[in-house]
Amino acid sequence: MVRAVPGWLRVGAWVFVALAAVFMLAPLVVVMGVSVSASQFIAFPPNGFSFRWYERALGSPAYLNAFWLSLNLAVLVTISASLLGGAAAIGLSRGGRSGGAVETFFLSPLVLPSIIFAIGLLMLWSAVFGPTSFQALWLAHTVIAIPYVIRTTLAVLAERDPFLEEAARTMGATRLKRLWFVTLPQCRPGLLAGAFFAFNISFDEAVLSLFLRNPNLTTLPVQIYGQLEFSPDPTVAAVSTLMILITIALMLILERMLGLTRFASG
Amino acid sequence: MSDLTLTNITKSFGKVEVLRGIDLTIRSGEFVSLLGASGCGKTTLLRIVAGLEGVSSGKVEIGGSDVTDLPPEKRDIAMMFQSYALLPHMSVSDNVRFPLRMRRVGNREEQDAKVKAALETVQLTHLADRAPRQLSGGQQQRVALARAIVSNPKVLLLDEPLSNLDARLREEMQVELIEIHRRIGLTTLFVTHDQDEALSLSDRVVLMNAGEIEQEASPREIYDAPATAYASSFLGAANLVPARIEGNVARLADGQTLPVSAGSPDGKATLALRQENVDFLDEGGLTATVITRVYLGSRHRYILDLAGQKISVLAPASVMLEPGAQARIGIAPDRVRILPA
Repeated sequence: MVRAVPGWLRVGAWVFVALAAVFMLAPLVVVMGVSVSASQFIAFPPNGFSFRWYERALGSPAYLNAFWLSLNLAVLVTISASLLGGAAAIGLSRGGRSGGAVETFFLSPLVLPSIIFAIGLLMLWSAVFGPTSFQALWLAHTVIAIPYVIRTTLAVLAERDPFLEEAARTMGATRLKRLWFVTLPQCRPGLLAGAFFAFNISFDEAVLSLFLRNPNLTTLPVQIYGQLEFSPDPTVAAVSTLMILITIALMLILERMLGLTRFASG
Repeated sequence: MSDLTLTNITKSFGKVEVLRGIDLTIRSGEFVSLLGASGCGKTTLLRIVAGLEGVSSGKVEIGGSDVTDLPPEKRDIAMMFQSYALLPHMSVSDNVRFPLRMRRVGNREEQDAKVKAALETVQLTHLADRAPRQLSGGQQQRVALARAIVSNPKVLLLDEPLSNLDARLREEMQVELIEIHRRIGLTTLFVTHDQDEALSLSDRVVLMNAGEIEQEASPREIYDAPATAYASSFLGAANLVPARIEGNVARLADGQTLPVSAGSPDGKATLALRQENVDFLDEGGLTATVITRVYLGSRHRYILDLAGQKISVLAPASVMLEPGAQARIGIAPDRVRILPA
């Protein structure tokens, strides 16, 4: 028997949904609005309409360098985090005596405040290697991206038929062939979703990048932050809008490839 | 020649002894069922033959060579799983090709021919390019069967492959399995808890109980002449009634007597009475009290109290007795199995 949802609860639910939508979307609308403002001040609603801040952003060597650094970094982090996180997830999904403890350890960057990790890594890196470098950023971003790959891959592996691998053994598949023909295809949707998360984590990560930056190592979020602090103008909003568009484009590509929505709802 | 020989197999998980000394030989082309209740060790035994489980002691020989220490991928076997275990990201034909590809059997054209032949055997050629999830349960099952027979293994292992199908489909698949086995004659070891399946499919039934072989015999023999009380209660749900043999009669607990075939030693015994062998009489015979009547359409099932023992009996629909009434029943002497008490 289905009991009717009381009216007040129904109204409450719609209010909740509306509030959530407003607070998630309104900041994006404001940023996009400011980015096409004709005025040189950051103000909403925008005064007039112009693309001059986009021109300025795309013509600024500081922003272009920061963008290429962030893109390079994000691509490398996507690869390293997917490889390491995927391998870890496959290992963890097989269980084992200390599996729970290892999983908690791998996922700890999710709960550990990243500022603590950033300070610790900066001190450690300085003590061992000296000045920070691209490698330090790559390592730092990989560490915080790995848990996302592990989570998404473990989620798809949890739903697989546990007998598939045994069946493959009875059909003559050796360990490597089972990995290639059975396990990896099963991981695919989780790995792709995890890779997408890893890219985004790295691309907009600010705390670690801020601590590990040096004059030659300024990522896009750090550049945005720096400009906001010292000489704010709508260029910041233009760059942010471009970042939003890149993310949307990535999501559409991934959706085409495997259906991110199906994964997220499954 | 034998394709599969098991010698004194034992298996323990920790302190739990699952198999206690199994000896079994399967001739080339024979269809053998491992029958038993859940937990009797039949699935573990099948997994040991596949190599998915190691033995604690004993020897497994396939096609005359010792494979006890070989992993499954190096054994010449095929196994069909209860869940079918089709690879979801591969088409039907790629699933069937998989064992040939893994074992590097022949070139692409030879593999194509074998895949086609296997799909023809299970009548699925028209679905070769579909993905497994687009198929019904029965069709997935046929794909799994095609994949199991395509590499022409020395031993075909079937782990309750019919248990996920509905009743009608299951009967169809049983007939099909019999026909396919008759045609290609693979040595087959079949695990089931369903006695009808075991009796209808096999050349030989191996009844297992608590990690040991209780009885192995042809289906007819094991049904008509179960060797133990367990065998007769498991197969065909026979009624077990304690009695004392005195020459040509068996005396029940309440003193009533029943004529039996001569030749059994006098003294305590258990009578195994099949429900379909008990007749309702107008007079004479044994007296039993009706406890319950269940209408089955073409027949009635009666639950009777016979000498303090509940027994289940099938009767024609014309026999109408109310609970509490006295029923007169008889059993032909050669239909009474006398088992040691």
